[in-house]
Amino acid sequence: MNAPTTILHVDMDAFFASVEQRDRPELRGKPVIVGGDPTKRGVVAAASYEARKFGVHSAMPTREAHRRCPDAIFVRGRMNVYKSVSRQVFAIFEDVTPMVQPVSVDEAFLDVTGALHLWGNDPVRIAEHIRTRIRKEVQLTASVGIAPNKFLAKLASDMNKPDGYTVVPRDAEAIRAFLAPLPVGRIWGVGKKTGDKLAGHGIHTIRDLQAANPKELTAWFGEHAARHLLALSQGLDDRPVHDREPEKSMSSEHTFGEDQTDPTVWRRILLEQSEEVGRRLRKAGLWSGCIHLKVRNDKFQTRTRQQTLAVPTRQDLEIYHAALALLEKTAPDRPIRLLGVGASHLTDTPVIPGPAQLDLFADTPPAQASDPAVLDRVIDQLRERYGDKAVQRAALARKPEEKE
Amino acid sequence: MKLTVKRDALLEALTQVQSVVSTRSTIPVLANVLLRADAGKLMLVTTDLEVSVSTEIPAEVATPGETTLPAKRLFSVIRELPPHEIELEVDAKSTASIRCGTAFFKIMGLSADDFPEVPQPEGEQVYTLEQAKLKHMIRCVQYATSVDETRYVLNGILFSFKEQRLTLVATDGRRLALYEEELEFPADHELDMVLPAKTVNELLRNLDSEGQVRLTAAGSQVVIEIEGMRIVSKLIDGNFPNYRQVIPGACEERIAFDRESLLTAVKRVSLVTNEQSNSIKLSFRENAVEIISSTPDIGEAREQVPVKYTGKEMSIAYNPEFLMAPLRVLASDEVYLELIDELSPGVLKSDTAFLYVIMPMRMQ
Repeated sequence: MNAPTTILHVDMDAFFASVEQRDRPELRGKPVIVGGDPTKRGVVAAASYEARKFGVHSAMPTREAHRRCPDAIFVRGRMNVYKSVSRQVFAIFEDVTPMVQPVSVDEAFLDVTGALHLWGNDPVRIAEHIRTRIRKEVQLTASVGIAPNKFLAKLASDMNKPDGYTVVPRDAEAIRAFLAPLPVGRIWGVGKKTGDKLAGHGIHTIRDLQAANPKELTAWFGEHAARHLLALSQGLDDRPVHDREPEKSMSSEHTFGEDQTDPTVWRRILLEQSEEVGRRLRKAGLWSGCIHLKVRNDKFQTRTRQQTLAVPTRQDLEIYHAALALLEKTAPDRPIRLLGVGASHLTDTPVIPGPAQLDLFADTPPAQASDPAVLDRVIDQLRERYGDKAVQRAALARKPEEKE
Repeated sequence: MKLTVKRDALLEALTQVQSVVSTRSTIPVLANVLLRADAGKLMLVTTDLEVSVSTEIPAEVATPGETTLPAKRLFSVIRELPPHEIELEVDAKSTASIRCGTAFFKIMGLSADDFPEVPQPEGEQVYTLEQAKLKHMIRCVQYATSVDETRYVLNGILFSFKEQRLTLVATDGRRLALYEEELEFPADHELDMVLPAKTVNELLRNLDSEGQVRLTAAGSQVVIEIEGMRIVSKLIDGNFPNYRQVIPGACEERIAFDRESLLTAVKRVSLVTNEQSNSIKLSFRENAVEIISSTPDIGEAREQVPVKYTGKEMSIAYNPEFLMAPLRVLASDEVYLELIDELSPGVLKSDTAFLYVIMPMRMQ
């Protein structure tokens, strides 16, 4: 029997500030603010619950925090300490399930579906086990949200903070009721802009959103966003827990045997690197929205440039053209030692094409013999089967005696 | 080299030649202007190896000679000098001393020996045009030039000298602009040449509202002479597509617009488009056309433009920029849009020898 999907969201309570209070007993029970000097420019990295009572919260300018809570004790952050505590806490998560997706140093999603049977199918026992171990091993408290998906789990962990847990019901009606009174800003993806726009249409709470007309929502926000809002207002969210960081970028670099001054050679290498990046994108099923170029000259000066694309791509030649344009922008005036092409802003959803511009000369003999996307795919298949050198672009072909 | 020259004349000459200079060339001397002093005159030359621009001004030359100086730097110095005589002296190390009134500058140059040879191509086919006329023709088609480097032959403007007419054509494959004017030239001078976009820019910058301009076809190059200045440029090598065959012959509907009101309406409506969804829709109904844009996550806009229309109802989508570009440069009050259907090329005409083919966008 398959257990129902169960996600925990574990969030450390006022993490940085709590670590400081743990290590310095004189700070306990006092308003503590981690962040720079209150007389200088800077923002609050964390505030203890005692400080939060005065309206201090993270990301607030330290000057403002000082104004609101003049008695607060300002402490400089010790990132190394927090990181090492974080590693201890994550080790506890890993003992429970390998399906851990870190959100930041002090919070994570855990998919405990597979582990449930070991705990009498009671996720609360898992949550309490984790909380107890954290308290014992690092002398800190954490709050946990237990829910059928990530969106609800994250909402729930915030509800009995600090040092508590909240279970979200499984029943669809109960979930709707659980969400109904919350402000729309609690929905994942609803920031100030969307929040204001919703408020402009009289939608303030999730209840208002549940009752909203889907057609109107589509007209206001577009189909994609409307669907997202409606699904989340019902508590529906099927994002999986990624047990490993999804790749954020990929790149390929080449260091020349001898520093190169010949632009033809630069371009050839750029094309090779672009092909490599394109191949990896296609293999990973991703598209890239931003192409990067890295140039290092003989003096070891390294320059990087990037170009955001209007439409994400995974095509060799599109990557190459973006990289080449960047190379021309950097206008290398010295011999080049290293060239690299990278791709970031990775997405697994291709952009739905908007209206397509028709071509004047389309009926005349085709300028492009085939769809470049098809060409890339065929090249990939050939190389997969017969090796990397099985097929090459003519621009990259070398005479047998030629060496790099 | 030692000479005296009027500041205003030198500034004007530098203005003419300095824009060709590339500030990010891999060859240092290409950032410089070549100065060559001969009896009674100073010649200035710049080049990027594709295009070179040269001009001459009168000068009192004490010692003839030549050197090269950083073009942009020299230009900004001369621009700030008072309108008096300038004394220019260059030593053997290519360092220039510039004196004007109480101001003194010392500027490091590079030897003229490093400067690429200035091409002096010669040709038989010479065409003489009115500057003002050519200027207007270029402005009417230039914006349609392709910037897509994979369509190299479209990165320029076609100058077609045929049947006692000069036809300028520019296209990026999605729209095409054409302007035709009668021109007298010997029958055996018929030819087509494609001038690179940069060359056309240089030409346009230097065209005046009066006087003449001479174009000489010299094999793979063209020589353009305006008053005392000369532009020598490579031509784009390759066959310009057969543009005649993409101009629709007959049309179903012909709609007259007030140019200004069509332009402002499209401009306003296009404010709610974005890069991903860069289209507007022209929706034709009896005696009205509504211009509409609707962009997910942004919003929508609509505006009616009064027209006389009795044809079938239809909606055609266009890239708004493609529609606005010709409307901005045309001078006539009225323009005509000739249409066939939603997916066929439309033609924009005015009361001059101008014609613009625009491909619609397919709505998804």
